[in-house]
Amino acid sequence: MSPLHVCLALSAALFCTGLVAVLVRGNAILVLLGVELMLNAANLNFIAFWRFGPGGGEVGLVFVLFSIAVAAAEAAVGMALVIAVHRHLRTIRVAAANRLKG
Amino acid sequence: MSIDYALLFRVLLPEALLTATALLVIGVDLVWGRGRSRGSRLQMAVGAGLLGVGVAALVIWQDGAQGSVWAGNLRVDLLAVAVRLGVLGLTGLSLLGLTGSRVSDQPAEYVALALLATVGFLQMAVAQNLLLAFLALELASLSLYVLAGYDRSRPESAEAALKYFLQGGVSAALLLFGFSLLYGMTGRIDLTGISMALAVHSDGSLSAVAVGMVLAAFGFKAAVAPFHPWAPDVYQGAPPMSAALIASAAKLAGLAFFWRIFWSGLGPLAATAPLLGGAGGGWVPVLASMCAVSLLLGNLVALAQASIRRLLAYSAIGHAGALGLGLLSAGEVGPGPLFYYAATYGLATVGAFACLAILDRAGDGDRIEDLAGLRRRSPLVAACFAVCVLSLAGIPPLAGFFGKFVVFAAAFRIDGLGHPAGWVALLAIAMSAVSLYYYLILLKQAWIAEDVRERGPIEVPPAAALGLLLAAGLLVVLGAFPSLLLGRF
Repeated sequence: MSPLHVCLALSAALFCTGLVAVLVRGNAILVLLGVELMLNAANLNFIAFWRFGPGGGEVGLVFVLFSIAVAAAEAAVGMALVIAVHRHLRTIRVAAANRLKG
Repeated sequence: MSIDYALLFRVLLPEALLTATALLVIGVDLVWGRGRSRGSRLQMAVGAGLLGVGVAALVIWQDGAQGSVWAGNLRVDLLAVAVRLGVLGLTGLSLLGLTGSRVSDQPAEYVALALLATVGFLQMAVAQNLLLAFLALELASLSLYVLAGYDRSRPESAEAALKYFLQGGVSAALLLFGFSLLYGMTGRIDLTGISMALAVHSDGSLSAVAVGMVLAAFGFKAAVAPFHPWAPDVYQGAPPMSAALIASAAKLAGLAFFWRIFWSGLGPLAATAPLLGGAGGGWVPVLASMCAVSLLLGNLVALAQASIRRLLAYSAIGHAGALGLGLLSAGEVGPGPLFYYAATYGLATVGAFACLAILDRAGDGDRIEDLAGLRRRSPLVAACFAVCVLSLAGIPPLAGFFGKFVVFAAAFRIDGLGHPAGWVALLAIAMSAVSLYYYLILLKQAWIAEDVRERGPIEVPPAAALGLLLAAGLLVVLGAFPSLLLGRF
């Protein structure tokens, strides 16, 4: 296996872990954590393709820098929303947020 | 490679103006708004926001289409100009509608966030590069998450925002992963380069995963089944004008965004990506089946709804199926029909939600029976609501009818029933008849049913009334003269 394949396998595993966490975890913060894992798997992909891939300059590296910043902003907004839900429901279990249905 | 920075500044001037307005609104509210009533702070914020939106629209209108800018990273073509103007118009209308909704504690921050979301929409319309596109999409999404949870007094608002955020976060991660694979296959992040590289060589399974992930992100953004579950909760729980922005301007910008990604970037895979179990066929049949499911599910589930906003949400999922159909046929016939449909659909949605915001402020509930006696309580709101709902239903001569007509005609023009789009268009026509039923139930309550509770007349602030009249008037004018928009493409 070439280094590129190792990296891609790792990032695919990371991505699937994140997706499973999103789907099965009941705690909103752990779901958020799963989303972060998925974003970081994509970042790992960019780095791997930049280092071992078909080339194209430093653009993969730059993309990762931006997407790390975006992920941080997303985590900030996400935590704020989790707190907003906690204020009302006194819990952060996703299943408890069930007022809206029909 | 030399870059014309003066031209770049000129193209980005609307975004700069809106950002400056957003900061200005917060600053002025901090200094001038201290000790003043919430009502006057809201008026100041909305006034400044409208001014910023108006000036930005004027700049875009004057500059017109300028082709590729900044070494091809931005593309200011006719569609970009139209979408940018449309997005600004929809944002302006939803700001006007804000004056008619319940006043929140921090009106200035609300307007500032709406303007920042609009900056994201404007960028989504021109981005020709995966990085810029991703940043624009995230700027818009992050602002919208907060706007959805803005009403801190109601747990429903926080719940809607959290659900929107979690599903949106997953879709952003899917999109980023898809982008990383596209970068890996082609070594490029500009859409033209990606398209050229994919036309020469594409790895079968990698391209299938990448395209699948981009499709999922599109499904989320446009609320196409099976990625729609956020839509009913957000429409019902979020403050009405936030829901209006999410349902109108965000959708228009999102369709332009994915039109570019699918046809400018992934065009070579349209018929070849081995998505369905390696059988080939590309993303066109997959998108067509998503649209078909969306049309069926949205329109049938809407029949069973008791909440007006939930009903509008499911009808929006149905409309998303038709919009996806427009996206499918846009590769052959150009984006004109898609833009016309999305813009007029956005207008009708903003108008309908502005009416619901006024009802919400008057203390009425969100159930269909709560509309009873609207004709007597406020003829203006009842009339504008009727125009918007009839346009959503696609009754001629309103704009919604021509939107459906041009999109279905475009779908048939590809290859009649020889192409999946033709069959989806047939289904969409049948579903339009179904949708007529639940839209007419709304109107029956508003116009015929008598109010058993004998509630008093509804007060409509002048700015909100202006917004309602503008939305309804535009729907009539664009319906009577569709060539005003369509003739330009």
